[in-house]
Amino acid sequence: MSKAIEIRNYCYKYSDSTVALKDINLSVEHGERVVLIGANGAGKSTLLLAMGGFVKGEGEIIIDGVELKRKNLKKIRTVIGSCLENPDDQLFMPTLFDDIAFGPMNMGCDADEVKKRVEQALATVGLGSMGHKAGHHLSAGQKRAAALATILSMSPSVITLDEPDGSLDPRNRNNITALLKGLEQTLIIATCNMNFAAAIADRAVLIDDGCIAADGVAEEILYDRELMVGYGLEVPGGSG
Amino acid sequence: MHHAHIDKFAYQDSPIHRLDSRVKFIVVMVFTFLVISLPVDSFGILFCYAVWPFAILVIGRIPLKFAFKQVLIVSPFILFLALSYPFYERGLVRTEFGPWNFEISLGWVKCFTISGKFTVTVLALIALVSTTKFSNLLSGLGRLGFPKLLVMQLGFLYRYIFVLIDKAQHILMARSSRRMRSLGVKREVKVAASMAGSLLIRSIDSAEKINIAMQARGFSGTWKSVNEQKFRRGDLLFALVCGAFIMALHFIVRPFLI
Repeated sequence: MSKAIEIRNYCYKYSDSTVALKDINLSVEHGERVVLIGANGAGKSTLLLAMGGFVKGEGEIIIDGVELKRKNLKKIRTVIGSCLENPDDQLFMPTLFDDIAFGPMNMGCDADEVKKRVEQALATVGLGSMGHKAGHHLSAGQKRAAALATILSMSPSVITLDEPDGSLDPRNRNNITALLKGLEQTLIIATCNMNFAAAIADRAVLIDDGCIAADGVAEEILYDRELMVGYGLEVPGGSG
Repeated sequence: MHHAHIDKFAYQDSPIHRLDSRVKFIVVMVFTFLVISLPVDSFGILFCYAVWPFAILVIGRIPLKFAFKQVLIVSPFILFLALSYPFYERGLVRTEFGPWNFEISLGWVKCFTISGKFTVTVLALIALVSTTKFSNLLSGLGRLGFPKLLVMQLGFLYRYIFVLIDKAQHILMARSSRRMRSLGVKREVKVAASMAGSLLIRSIDSAEKINIAMQARGFSGTWKSVNEQKFRRGDLLFALVCGAFIMALHFIVRPFLI
């Protein structure tokens, strides 16, 4: 059976020749919850963009058995759902219903199927009665949940999330943690919050300066004080 | 941050709210066209035309205070234009207003008529957006054959104008927190230009992210939507009643009053 994600010797440079990702090799099994941790500017977000085919580098990326190539992009995007860092970028339609329906409609679902998927996605993230609301009428926590619903309605097997806990209060962070833990999909989450990472992940990948510096069981990586402090991070529950 | 939304009453329920957005849009456009085409000395008849937007606002349970507040918000530009007429159109004309017959300068007549037309048409527009969800209005425009690109851009405008206002307010706050004294006109203009530039760059950055979010959900350049609006008997009745009222004003009352 194919892996959820297989990345081989992947490198990416920005247009100004700054190297963002260097020789990345990463393999993720179906159903795994992987956190990408690292300091700001380490390359976590760029790696997520590369997985969605939004930046083009050198090397090989295979998502659920489909090689990431220009001609495969449409298929790839039904397999991998990308949730951006700022939910305002994710919610671009006049109402939440339209936003969540956007993906299924582009997949070619008929109106009844679209409605069913929207209702399911809204119920999953706990926003069942808010389909008629506009994005700018939602709270920060609701926006995060809504952004996730826009992806869930497409039923992808892999979901990438960039800082899904960003600027959330503890209650909303707990809500989003519980929500993500309840999902069956393979999750790849970039975060700088080690408590959030420890609460959610099976596996942690530490990225530093565009390279994978450590990869292993989340508990072992996240609670390795020497490793974490060495890379400018902290262990969960403390300040390092 | 909190913003006052022009469509904050669009989510209520009333007979007007339940109407098909296409019917409301067409009626408002016809009404607006007829009001705009009224001659310059038709100030009196504008009161008759004003009955229509008032009726829609009352039946739609939209507070009149809210409607007039919105008119005031958008009025400065038109008022500036209207108030300039009395200064250069000083010729006197004899005019009638109800039972009164008096002489007044043409400039003031134009000023009152323009202000009146503006108030009546903006009230009609407020009645439309306050009784129609913006998403329904957009899908209605799409089904009326408006260019998809225009409808899409209106949708983005509605969604992101508040995000942009937030960003502008954050920039202004950042400036205020560090501004201890006036820097003089030249440097203040330079600072304002830098702030506008910063806002533009942030907007472009957001646009790129939105593009990624759209592509991530399979967007390939064709806008698709689920439409639940249907043309019902009530819509036909509304169109007929409004049509009859507007035609009666235009062909019976108007020749009598002007």
